[in-house]
Amino acid sequence: MKTINKILEIKSRTPFSLKLSCLFAICTMIFQHSISYANIIEPAFLKRELGVINIAVAGKVTDANGNSLPGVTVTIKGTNTSTATDLEGNFKFSNQVPENSVITLSLLGFKTKEVVVTNANFLTILLEEDLRQLSEVVVIGYGSQERKDLIGSISKINADEVKQIPVGSFDAQLQGKAAGLQINSNTGIPGEGIFIRVRGTTSINASNDPLYIVDGVFINNSSLQTVSTGGKATSPIADINPADIESVEVLKDASATAIYGARGANGVVIVTTKRGNYNSKAKLGFNATQGIAEAAKIWGQASGPLNAELHNESWINSGIDNPALNQTYANRPFRPVSEGGRGLPEEQQTYDRLGDIFQTARLQSYDLSLQGGSSGTKYYFGAGYTRQEAIMKPVYFNRASFKLNLDQKVNNNIQVGITNSISRTFRNQARAGDGPQGGMFQTALLVATYLPKFNADGTPAKWGPWDNLDVLLNNYDVKTKNIRYIGNVYLDADITPELKFRSSFGIDYNDYNESEYWNSLTLIGASPTNGLATAAVTNNSTWLNEQTLSYRKVFNGDHNFGLLVGNSLQGDLIKSTFAQGTNFPNDSFKKISSAATRIGSDSWTESKLVSFFSRADYNYRSKYYLQLSVRADGSSRFGADNRWGYFPSVGTAWRIKEENFLRDVNFISDLKLRGSFGITGNQNGINNFASRGLWIGGVGYPDNITGGDKPGIAPQQLANPTLRWEKTRQINGGVDLGLWNGRVALELNVYRKYTSDLLIQRPLASSTGFSSYYSNEGEISNTGFELNINTTNIEKGDFQWQTNFNIASNKNVIEKLATPINVYSRDWLRMEEGHPMYSFWLYKQLYVDPQTGDAVFEDVNKDGKITVEDRQLLGNAMPDFFGGISNSFTYKGWDASILFTFQYGNDVFNMNEFFDMAGGTRAERFASANSTKRWQNPGDITDVPRFTTVGNNYRLEQNSRLLEDGSFIRLKQLSIGYSIPKRLLTRFKIEDLRLSFTGSNVLLFTKYSGLDPESNVASSQNVQGLDFGTPPQPRTFQLGINLTL
Amino acid sequence: MKHLRYFILFVIASITFSCNNFLEVQPQESISDESTITNGSSAETAVRGMYRALASNSYYGSTFQSIGYLSGDNIQWTGSQAIAGQFVNHDVRADNGSVAAVWSAIYTTINRANNVIAKVSTLALEPTFTQEKKDQLVGEAYFVRALAYFDLVRLWGTVPIYLAPTLSINDNHGKAKSSKEEVYAQVLADLKAAETLLPQTTNRIRATRKTVWALRSRYHLYNKEWAAAESYADKVIADQSYNLIAPYSSFFANNAVATQESVFELSYSATNTSSHRGNWQPPQNGGTRQWAPNSEFLALINDPLIGGNRSAMVSSTSDGRWYGNMYYRSPATDPAYVIRIAEIRLIRAEARAQQGKYEDALKDLDAVRERAGLGASSADGKDEIFLAIEQERRLEFAFEPHRWFDLVRTDRAEAVLGLSDRNRYVLPIPIDELKVDPALEPNEGYL
Repeated sequence: MKTINKILEIKSRTPFSLKLSCLFAICTMIFQHSISYANIIEPAFLKRELGVINIAVAGKVTDANGNSLPGVTVTIKGTNTSTATDLEGNFKFSNQVPENSVITLSLLGFKTKEVVVTNANFLTILLEEDLRQLSEVVVIGYGSQERKDLIGSISKINADEVKQIPVGSFDAQLQGKAAGLQINSNTGIPGEGIFIRVRGTTSINASNDPLYIVDGVFINNSSLQTVSTGGKATSPIADINPADIESVEVLKDASATAIYGARGANGVVIVTTKRGNYNSKAKLGFNATQGIAEAAKIWGQASGPLNAELHNESWINSGIDNPALNQTYANRPFRPVSEGGRGLPEEQQTYDRLGDIFQTARLQSYDLSLQGGSSGTKYYFGAGYTRQEAIMKPVYFNRASFKLNLDQKVNNNIQVGITNSISRTFRNQARAGDGPQGGMFQTALLVATYLPKFNADGTPAKWGPWDNLDVLLNNYDVKTKNIRYIGNVYLDADITPELKFRSSFGIDYNDYNESEYWNSLTLIGASPTNGLATAAVTNNSTWLNEQTLSYRKVFNGDHNFGLLVGNSLQGDLIKSTFAQGTNFPNDSFKKISSAATRIGSDSWTESKLVSFFSRADYNYRSKYYLQLSVRADGSSRFGADNRWGYFPSVGTAWRIKEENFLRDVNFISDLKLRGSFGITGNQNGINNFASRGLWIGGVGYPDNITGGDKPGIAPQQLANPTLRWEKTRQINGGVDLGLWNGRVALELNVYRKYTSDLLIQRPLASSTGFSSYYSNEGEISNTGFELNINTTNIEKGDFQWQTNFNIASNKNVIEKLATPINVYSRDWLRMEEGHPMYSFWLYKQLYVDPQTGDAVFEDVNKDGKITVEDRQLLGNAMPDFFGGISNSFTYKGWDASILFTFQYGNDVFNMNEFFDMAGGTRAERFASANSTKRWQNPGDITDVPRFTTVGNNYRLEQNSRLLEDGSFIRLKQLSIGYSIPKRLLTRFKIEDLRLSFTGSNVLLFTKYSGLDPESNVASSQNVQGLDFGTPPQPRTFQLGINLTL
Repeated sequence: MKHLRYFILFVIASITFSCNNFLEVQPQESISDESTITNGSSAETAVRGMYRALASNSYYGSTFQSIGYLSGDNIQWTGSQAIAGQFVNHDVRADNGSVAAVWSAIYTTINRANNVIAKVSTLALEPTFTQEKKDQLVGEAYFVRALAYFDLVRLWGTVPIYLAPTLSINDNHGKAKSSKEEVYAQVLADLKAAETLLPQTTNRIRATRKTVWALRSRYHLYNKEWAAAESYADKVIADQSYNLIAPYSSFFANNAVATQESVFELSYSATNTSSHRGNWQPPQNGGTRQWAPNSEFLALINDPLIGGNRSAMVSSTSDGRWYGNMYYRSPATDPAYVIRIAEIRLIRAEARAQQGKYEDALKDLDAVRERAGLGASSADGKDEIFLAIEQERRLEFAFEPHRWFDLVRTDRAEAVLGLSDRNRYVLPIPIDELKVDPALEPNEGYL
């Protein structure tokens, strides 16, 4: 009745409302009801009922530092009566609390506390932060949960632990930090893309990367790079400053990811950036690090004389093998100059080029942050700058970023906020990958050591298909500037304490600006091109609008029920403009406007997604859990027949610890069984118009010789109106076990993912005039387990030692694939039914005949010839298992941590050796120091065949001899820090001052003969395990200072 | 009051518009295949697209041509890709990427021609789209299709024939290979159709009736129909628009295009470049020198009494490496020479010699020699004349796709190249094609 009166009161005061419909009135009622419920204040008095004394209780809740804690749930134990603390941490019960009853105070991230209420005094209650995992808050899709209530399989990574590893993108820092998250760095170039998989590879043509969500914005993570860096690509994730990140959650099983529907199949990485706290004083932080990076190892090269000797040997051997070549000792290339030769081998000089390209690189980074809040406003401001030189000249990566997160309470029920981050990255790039021209690494690595750097006349010498290294070093000009904005605005409204509404609008905008200029001294710009410049601007914008309505209520104290419904709209647009100029007047002109020949083009592509989603969860006394979710996604990418996809999931958990029979077993602090099943989808990475039948323009041809090109059109792609999503079914079983009050926390997950309807570019007979069309046909499975163990080994006085160990294994099988697909040049990799992805397709070298020195290959079909039919799938670039182990120690002001990461069972094809030890088939090439292992005399036992350009020894390019075990253990990070005692700092009004030393990639234990088993030649998602022309991950050492005022 | 405001916000935020309209996104760079060839001007664009396929890098732009000369005896492989070396060594494997690329490029060209033939023929006439124009466009498509099947049959011998456009994924596969004779019959049928439809004009970069005559002359030569070969050559040679221009380099040097030498060449622009030069030119000139003239050929071409002024087609770097210099332009707009008047002259020489007209044969041969700055041939007697013509063709077309086909067609591959395995006279059907189309049989001797 009182409530109705209030409504009337408001109505009479508000002309606005008079005009509103009946619907509005009802809603207002709901609002009002909630307000009146919370705000009614009545005088406290004692009331005696049936002999029980009811008293009024009020109090204030603070944390250990005396900061007031708002939002603490205060419940009178054994009743439904509860309230929450206000902004100042105050709570109050009217005369409804039976004397001597117990009130329970709980808040996420804090240990729950029970207090006996004796009389109506004012209580001051202190809540202790809970550092143990159980009450850790874990971000889930569209919400958060305490770890003890988790049903899904989610890894949470504390970003602070690894953010000093000097790489461009935060995802590259996560290696070994989360069970089941496989990360290979691919290259030592900062800011380049990495290989990341959550529970294996599910797709061939669609993306295999997880969905990245930063503060609710689904961000782009595919590179916008258009200039060639030899098959490599930059990482858009590097635009995010790791210093601004609060936490990273990796969602792995279907009950966690199905709420993301068509984008959940490869897992979800949720990034939460830092925000301020209400009622906290401004805290200014400053971090600076300075360091160096170096190559831990470089390739061994044969000296000039040895290189020349090898050349002669191959020349003569080839002449013996094929007399028609007319290659004999007499006309060997390295014979005395007097005989018309190039001088004897021993007269050759050795010219080192590798030393010219590697450098001890400098690393620096600076971060400034300010965070705090008043009763209604909280803020986080961050500014950062980092500059990382690569160990290879002249490459470096710069990032300047700026962040502002702001939240404002409008009143007790409404909160609005904004998240902004803007960054500018600058990259000085060079080709560290495949391709000779402009190939920085190849030029340094592959030119024979006896070849001088300068011609006799002093001009720079160019050899083979390569540039002159000095020319490249002095004239390389490939630069990329990138501006990235990621932000969103949101509104949260508590319609009732149980019912919350949220609306948000987010944007990810990326302006990627590239330029390259090759002057006439470089091969690319040499006469007759006379200078070549390109400029490309690529614009990617993604916008996202979401509404969610969530409801949570505990019924009768036992039945905890939650419901979420929501919708989202998303648009994604990529526009790109490209221009190229050649024939410059001279090398001083560098802009396309000065070029005599100019070409240009632009491109445009767009996709849209509409989604509706819902999740319901229920638990009975935190004992039995059930969660159902469903998402419907409609995508513009697919034909009308299959535009909508539906992705359901179900998850259950049984928290056995809460059962009576375990409740009193003290050494078991937690035991929970989990199970989930669900379906997720994948549509990322495929062409926006893949389902359509299309003709292209741009294939012009003249009508007559004077007219120049006139427009032309041609068929481009055949339609497949039934094209649809890739679908991944995933089943997951898990156990969470806590022992001795959480000192040992173990999480084990076993899963099987089965992906069907793979988007395959199905090869089509070329007689159709098309090479392939998109169709849903392949199937891939991933089966594996993940184990994560956290232990607190010692916790005594000031000393603490904690360990995390995680290990995961994933077995990938291509279950169905109509036609094998070959990957990369020379088809070194091949995807074939019944075999895992990233399998190598090679001729198996059995041995080198000790008598002849010739390689003997396995003749699989026993037809007496070595043909393509004898190629086999041998080895695999994926590890059998991988993981990490980290230990952290704190003692008084000291802290230390050490992280090892490992992979076991992955193979690497040593493509450097393929080019460097080519037996003479590649004239004027650098020879690897390993050439000394070649067969030379009858009786030699070796696996390196006799040098010759004839026969299969080196002409068979897919030789299993070059496949090596790439297992490794890496000392990924080592850090030691010292915090200056507070008593020395207070005088200077400094709150905290920490000095630190960090080393990364400090040690590498591996049998692999190359520099780094994680190297990979290309960024293409189907290429792994080909090591070529790539600088290794650098070994770095940094000193840092963290200052908090 | 303030609560109402949020309620309104809620209502606004909840507005969702029609999802299906929202999800309709039309491409802007490509167009739907239902709305392509609908009128005269779109028909013209489709014909240009067809020529672009003919000129594509996997076809006349480079790869097809390279198979023609790499498989002969003039070129050595000097690059990093072993697949080019397989042609030089006559050890071509079914997984050779160039073989697959050429197969696919030729059928792509055929599909574009089939689209023109099927769709342009049914278009209504307009004031600007006359019957004459329509005939010309369809005639060009017949010519291009004839050339494409001609190239297929001389590379692979037996290939499947498809004459309708591919409109869905079920079209144009699953058919067994036709015999060599059937493919040649199809070439002739298309040439005849083109001949009646095309106008008798001169256009050196597009097909006209005269281009058809030239190709027919070559067609009959390959089919040993000497009289027909001679008479079609006569028609072309009699035309005043085609002349041997001296010196030899005139038709390619100094950025020349569409000279009187050319009966048919393909045109390139800064936008549509040819990859030919990249394979020939040394790194100093921005190429990769995948292949280069071999020493035996260099000795011939640089001999003033044998090569004459044709030595302009080779050049050497400062460090003494020889390279082919017929394709050299930047941007790479070197034309692809499909039929030159020199070829028609030598076709007639051969056809005449085959018919015993040795005097006349020598006249044609000497015309080509004269242009190269050489004296009259001293060849005497049937055998010597044939050898002289063969030698002249070897040098004249060293960097054009003739030498290999000539040796196979005249059954001289064993004598000249030492290639006794006759199965190697044709290429293997690409292994990937055999896998996706079970109706295809591998060529004999491969697999």
